[in-house]
Amino acid sequence: MTMQGALRTEQNQARGAEFLTFTLAEETYGIDILRVQEIRGYDSVTRIANTPDFIKGVINLRGVIVPIVDLRLKFKVGQATYHEFTVVIIINVADKVVGMVVDGVSDVVALSEEQIKPAPEFGSALDTRYLTGLGTVNDDMLILIDIEKLVTSDEMQLMERLPEV
Amino acid sequence: MSNGKPGSDIDVKRFNQVFFEECAEHLAEMERILISLSDREPDQEQMNAIFRAAHSIKGGAGIFGFDDMTVVTHVMESLLDRLRKHEIGFTASMVDVLLEAGDVISMQLAGHREGSAVRQEAIDAVRGKLQRLVDNGPVSQPAAAAALPEPVPACEPVLSLCDDGALRRYELSFTPDDNIFRRGIRVESIIAELSELAEPGGFSSRAELVAVPRLEELDPESCLTRWHFNLTTQASSDQVMEVFMFVADEEQLSLRELPRETPAAAALPALPAAGPAPSAEPEPRLEGRRAYDRDETAPGAFGRRQGEMESSIRVNVTKVDQLINQVGELLITQAMLAQVAAELDPVRYETLHKGLAQLARNSRDLQGSVMSIRLVPISIVFSRFPRMVRELAARLGKSVDLKMVGETTELDKGLIEKVADPLSHLVRNALDHGLETSEARLASGKEATGTIQLKASQVAGRIAIEVSDDGAGLNRDKILAKASEAGVPYSESMSDEEVWQLIFAPGFSTADQVTDLSGRGVGMDVVLKNVQAMGGRVQIASQAGKGTCVTISLPLTLAILNGLSVAVGGEKFIIPLSAIIESLQPKSDQLKSVNGKQVVAVRGEYLPILRLHNLFNIETEVSDPRQGILVLVDLGGEKTALLVDALLDEQQVVVKSIETNYRRVEGSAGATILGDGRVALILDVAELFEMAKKAQPDPGPAKEAA
Repeated sequence: MTMQGALRTEQNQARGAEFLTFTLAEETYGIDILRVQEIRGYDSVTRIANTPDFIKGVINLRGVIVPIVDLRLKFKVGQATYHEFTVVIIINVADKVVGMVVDGVSDVVALSEEQIKPAPEFGSALDTRYLTGLGTVNDDMLILIDIEKLVTSDEMQLMERLPEV
Repeated sequence: MSNGKPGSDIDVKRFNQVFFEECAEHLAEMERILISLSDREPDQEQMNAIFRAAHSIKGGAGIFGFDDMTVVTHVMESLLDRLRKHEIGFTASMVDVLLEAGDVISMQLAGHREGSAVRQEAIDAVRGKLQRLVDNGPVSQPAAAAALPEPVPACEPVLSLCDDGALRRYELSFTPDDNIFRRGIRVESIIAELSELAEPGGFSSRAELVAVPRLEELDPESCLTRWHFNLTTQASSDQVMEVFMFVADEEQLSLRELPRETPAAAALPALPAAGPAPSAEPEPRLEGRRAYDRDETAPGAFGRRQGEMESSIRVNVTKVDQLINQVGELLITQAMLAQVAAELDPVRYETLHKGLAQLARNSRDLQGSVMSIRLVPISIVFSRFPRMVRELAARLGKSVDLKMVGETTELDKGLIEKVADPLSHLVRNALDHGLETSEARLASGKEATGTIQLKASQVAGRIAIEVSDDGAGLNRDKILAKASEAGVPYSESMSDEEVWQLIFAPGFSTADQVTDLSGRGVGMDVVLKNVQAMGGRVQIASQAGKGTCVTISLPLTLAILNGLSVAVGGEKFIIPLSAIIESLQPKSDQLKSVNGKQVVAVRGEYLPILRLHNLFNIETEVSDPRQGILVLVDLGGEKTALLVDALLDEQQVVVKSIETNYRRVEGSAGATILGDGRVALILDVAELFEMAKKAQPDPGPAKEAA
C-alpha cells in the first residue's frame, strides 16, 4: 500500500468512526459524535404557540435561545414523559444549535467501515431518507442517522427554509 | 509557502478597507468645509484643509491602484493649489463644482467598494468643469491677495518662497522604518514622484544599507535601506515634503535646503529682503515630521487632525455586539442570584446581600458603559442636511435657513442608520410643502427667509428628533378633501390631531402638484412604518400660518427594551412598554358584546379584547376579563386590549433573537431571558392583531373554560 493510500484509510476511519448512541423506545440510534455539542437535562422549556407537538419550545442555553425537539413525539415511539433523567442532546448542524429529547444516551462507539451496512428500505421509526446505514456492535444493531439532513428537513419545521442539501 | 498567497490577498483587502474609510472621511471633511463657507472666500486654513483632503485622496488612490480616482482628484488638486497660492481668485461657483467633484469621487469610491455603477460621463463632465476653472479662473487681484489677513503666518514664507519661480536645491535623507514594505508603501513610487518634481537633470539618488544582518536572520520584508536624494526644483520644501505624506511619522526624514547659487541669498536669513515677510527662515530642516503637520498644531487650526485630538479606536461592530451580549448574560446571572438570595435570611446572610447589591450596581454601571459604546452622536445624520437643504432650496427657489440643535445627542448606531431616511423625507417635505416662497412669506408678514429646525434631545429615556418649519402649516380642509379623494376614512368632526394622522395613510399627498422632490404620495406612511419598526413613534403638531413640527421619538437602543412582564397560564410574556397605554381590571358594565365578540368600553371607546391564552393556546384559569387584567396597547392609532392573567414586573430586558437557531415565531419580536433563566417571548403587538384577525372568531367567555 502506498503512503497516500494508508493515510486515506486512516482518515476515513477517523472521520466516520465515532458515534454517540441513544435510545428511542426499543431502538438504538447513532449520530456522528462531531455534531454533538453537549448533553444536558430537560428543564425550563418555554412553550411556543402554534407549533407541532414535537417542538417542545425553546430553552436558554447560556444566553443563546435553542429550540427543543422531542424525537419520541416526532417519530411516535415510546412514552414522552419528562422527569429528572430525561436527556437532551444538543447538536450543532448547519450553523444552528438544536436540542433533541431522547429516551436515553448510551455510549460512544467506534465503528470501522466493515461494521457499517447499508440501511434497509424499512424497519425503523425513521424514514430511510435520513439513515446512513446500520452498524453492528457486539451483535447489537445501531441505526445511524444523518442528523444534519434530519434537522434541516422540512418535516422537522425547525428552519425557515430548507437549505440546499 | 502556499499559505502566503491567500494571506497577502487578505492583507491587501484590509488596506483597501482602510483607504475606503479614510477616503470617505476626507470627502466628508471637504464637504463640511465647503458647505460651511456658504459662498464666503475660504481662509488660508480652510483652503489648506480642503487641499489636504483632495491630496490625500489622490495619493491614497494612487498607492492602492485606483487610478481612475486620481483623474478627478488631480484636476481638483490643481485648482485648489492655484487657489491656495492666490494665482486665481475664488468664486462662489467653485464651491458647487468642488461639491460636484466630491460627489463624483464618492461615486467612484462606491464603485470600488460595493461594485455600484460608475457614470463615466459624470466624471468627464466634472473634470471638464474643474479644468476650465483651472485654466480660466478669474485672476486674483494682487492687491486683494496682499490685503488678505494671514491667519497662519508660519506657512506664509513657504508659500512666498515658491512664487519667485527660482530654482532651489534640496538635500533629503530618508530612513524608513523596518516595516515600510509590510505597510504596503512603495518606495519606488515615492522616488518617481520626487523625480517628477525635479527639473530635468536635477535629481539624483543614492541608497545605502543601514545594517547588514546575518544571512539566517535576514527578513526579506524588512527595509534596511536609507536613501539620499539631491533635488533641484522650483517646488517649495512643503511640496517636497508632501511626497512623503503617506509615510508615517516615525520615519526619519530630513530635508535641507542647500544655499542658493547666489551667495547673497545664501547668507540671507530673511527673504525676500524687501518684503513685509516674517523672518523667512525657510524651514531649513524638517526633522521627521511633515511641514503642515506643525501648522495644524497651531491654536485653532482647522484641519483633519482635529477629530483625532480625542483619541479613539476603530472597533468592529460585531465585537461591540458580543460585548453587549455578554453584559446581558451577566445581568441575567445577577438577576438570578438576586432571586435566589431573596429567599435567604437577611440577617444571617447580611454580607451576601450586601455583596449582591454591590454586584447589581456594578453590573448596571457596566451595562451603561457598554451600551454607550454603541451610541454615536446624531450629528452624523444631521451633517448631510445642510448640503441637501442648500441644493433643494436652490432648485425650489426658496430661501431657507437651516438650524440644528442638539447635534451631540447620542443614539444607537443601528438606529442612526435607519433614522436617516425618514428624517431626509421629513426635511424634504418641510422644504417642499411646508415652507412658502419668499413672496408668499413677505405677503403674509413673515421674513423672506424661512427656517427649518432640526432638534434632537433626550427625553425620559427616549430620543426625540424634531423637524420643524415656520411655514404655512398643515391645511385641515385640504387634508380632508384629499382624504375623501383618496378614499381614506375620515369624519368632519375629527380633532386636528386626528386629521394630521390622516397624512400617514398610504398614498396620501397634499402637495398641489407633484414635484420631483416630493408629492408622489409615497411618503409619510413609509416614514411611519420605518419609525415604528425601530420601536418609535411619530407625532405631528401644526398651526395654520405658523408652521409644522414633526417629532420622531425613538428608544435609546435596540438591544435593550423596557417591558412589562405579564403572566398567562404558566407562561410569561414581555409587552414592550412603548406600546402600552394603560392596564385595568374591567367591571361587568364595561364589557359589551359586538357581533358575538367581547369588547371593553374605556372612556367612551370600545376596544376589542385579544385573549393571549387563545392566541398562544395556553391553558389558564383566567378566561373572564373581570378576573384578569386588560393591558391597553396602541398600534399606531388603533387600540386594543390584551387579556392577561396578571401583571408581574416592569423591567429592562435584553433582546435576543429566536431566529439564530430557530425560525420566526409569529406574534413575537424576539425573546429574552428572565432572572430565573427561562426564556420569555417579547410580544409584537401589531402582529398579535394580525394573528387575531386570522384566527377563528372569538368563542366568547362561555365556551372557554375547556
